[in-house]
Amino acid sequence: MYIPITVDHIARVEGKGGIEIVASDEGVKEVKLNIIEGPRFFEAITLGKKLDEALAIYPRICSFCSAAHKLTAIEAAEKAVGFTPREEIQTIRDLVYIGDMIESHALHLYLLVLPDYLGYSNPLAMVDKYKKEIEYAMKLKNIGAKIMDVIGSRAIHQENAVLGGFGKLPTKAQFEELKKELKEALPVAEYTVELFSKFEQYAEVEDREMVHMAVKPRNGVYGIFGDYIKVSDGFEFPVEDYKKWIVERVVEHSFAKHSFYREKPFMVGAISRVVNNADLLYGKARELYGKYKELLRYDNCFANNFAQALELVYFVERAIDEIDEILAKWPIKPRDEVEIKDGRGVSITEAPRGLVAYTIEVKDGRVAYADIITPTAMNLAIMERHVRMMAEKHYQDDPERLKYLTEMTVRAYDPCISCSVHIVRL
Amino acid sequence: MTVRRKAKIGFYALTSCYGCQLQFAMIDELVQALENIGIECWFMLDRNSDENAEVDIAFIEGSISTEEEVELVKKIREKAKIVVAVGSCAVHGGVQSWSNDKDLEELWKTVYGDGKVKFKPRMAEPVENYIKVDYKLYGCPPEKKDFLYALGTFLVGSWPEDIDYPVCVECRLKGNPCVLIEKGEPCLGPLTVAGCDARCPSYGIACIGCRGAVKEVAWFDSLAREFKKKGLKKEEILQRMRIFNAHNPKLEEMINKVFEEGE
Repeated sequence: MYIPITVDHIARVEGKGGIEIVASDEGVKEVKLNIIEGPRFFEAITLGKKLDEALAIYPRICSFCSAAHKLTAIEAAEKAVGFTPREEIQTIRDLVYIGDMIESHALHLYLLVLPDYLGYSNPLAMVDKYKKEIEYAMKLKNIGAKIMDVIGSRAIHQENAVLGGFGKLPTKAQFEELKKELKEALPVAEYTVELFSKFEQYAEVEDREMVHMAVKPRNGVYGIFGDYIKVSDGFEFPVEDYKKWIVERVVEHSFAKHSFYREKPFMVGAISRVVNNADLLYGKARELYGKYKELLRYDNCFANNFAQALELVYFVERAIDEIDEILAKWPIKPRDEVEIKDGRGVSITEAPRGLVAYTIEVKDGRVAYADIITPTAMNLAIMERHVRMMAEKHYQDDPERLKYLTEMTVRAYDPCISCSVHIVRL
Repeated sequence: MTVRRKAKIGFYALTSCYGCQLQFAMIDELVQALENIGIECWFMLDRNSDENAEVDIAFIEGSISTEEEVELVKKIREKAKIVVAVGSCAVHGGVQSWSNDKDLEELWKTVYGDGKVKFKPRMAEPVENYIKVDYKLYGCPPEKKDFLYALGTFLVGSWPEDIDYPVCVECRLKGNPCVLIEKGEPCLGPLTVAGCDARCPSYGIACIGCRGAVKEVAWFDSLAREFKKKGLKKEEILQRMRIFNAHNPKLEEMINKVFEEGE
């Protein structure tokens, strides 16, 4: 007899998804990640709309990575109309994006992942025994949020980032204050690396066939923006070709599509960035990479948690350097006029949880076509494979343990389920 | 209604970006508030969440976008003393309602092609279309102070006030140059519920109306007249005002009126 074991609503992830495992004494028959978050049709609702208004709406796809969506959509739109932002504007955008990276990683690691390892159902319950960890979580997410708030206008859904730059820039003193707080956050980020170095990366999901995709950073240092995608099998392709290499299929148990590279699932995210671009790390993160290299495994999705911890250190340091670059060019004109011409643009960047791809076509000032693939949509197929591997090792255990371990596997991917739902034309 | 000292709360998600819950989770004071509240259901943070638990205050984020969500909100209403619709999706149907002038099938085809899934999608709707909502938190997302004010007021057994004046009030107080008059941009501040301290106009960015139109007195028509003078076409005005007000019954009628007035 087959016994279905289900987690109707996976807790401590962004969005609404469930795990369905059908197993019997003979083994696991079926494993599905049900994505039950309703569809929002972002590509369809923005069709025919004015470009600036559509750009204000795309980030609403996801709150955990709203800056990622906003800045990727803007880059695609600027490429479409043939506009290139000034270098200093690009640096400020990168800084806002880093704010998102820091906030998102801090929330994921401390509030969503840590309770599993410390034996709690929720992070708020940890406050009596793990006060320091909660304070550290707050400190890191607060500096990330503050960067987005001060420069982008708010921590969730930044309206101040627009075509051509920013409506208004913060003062020099505000940048200096951000820098001071980032410096204070650096030891906290380093503590996060030490903390997460102690946690188990479950051997059940070891997968030698894992393939990772990441942006090849544009300016030669580990980062977010780029014009090529690197694959861990050695292949590289220009971002414009993503529809050729990332192939999507509709599956009936999910409002989000699944993605494949050369017919196989692949992974994106912090560990995928480290696997592809570790040689471009610098500073403290580079030292820590040397020290903990064996934990940054390409063949285990749980390494993604540790890779995020390492990135916290990297991006805090990188943000400090970017503020120095910005201040060296002060005063900076916030915005250039953008002439809205017809055209098509593609941008792929590194959202906190992996690649996010945008194609925007502009005609007569309106969106004529939009295509978006989010990191979680890219990860769903491989996530399902690893949940299955976990289930195959534990289907005879207590169902509660099976649920706990499979949920942890999902959480390691830091999925954004609302983000993944709506995805893309055929 | 008086709420017990340790109030039971639930935070439920319908279809949304999870930004309202994220905003709530990011409130530093939340840890202190735990002395006075117990969380019965909040899947985003707690594995021990029970959708069927009785609660004093239910916060609902998201629009109703599937058949399953219709059932969920009915259940929440039965179990909750106070239901708070949180954010523009729950209150106004959200940006996913922007194209509710198109039909569901057309939207589905554009995004999913011929793909089929086993769940039943719907056109996005505000929570109020299905259950009685006791209080609303406006914004995309609401401000942290909106949450603290509402929660704090409920906890002392009182009732929070609604905001019935527009963003312009706060924008003037901040001394910002007027985005609409001085920059000539289509700012929706004059018709949008205040409470954000004019966040976007303070950056010189025209308001897109994320807190929704001030109820009862939504001045869609007088603002439309102003936009019309600036050369905006009817369709442009309608689409801009629709982003966060697609379900407002007065919108289309008021804009039509302005364009029937002639030059």
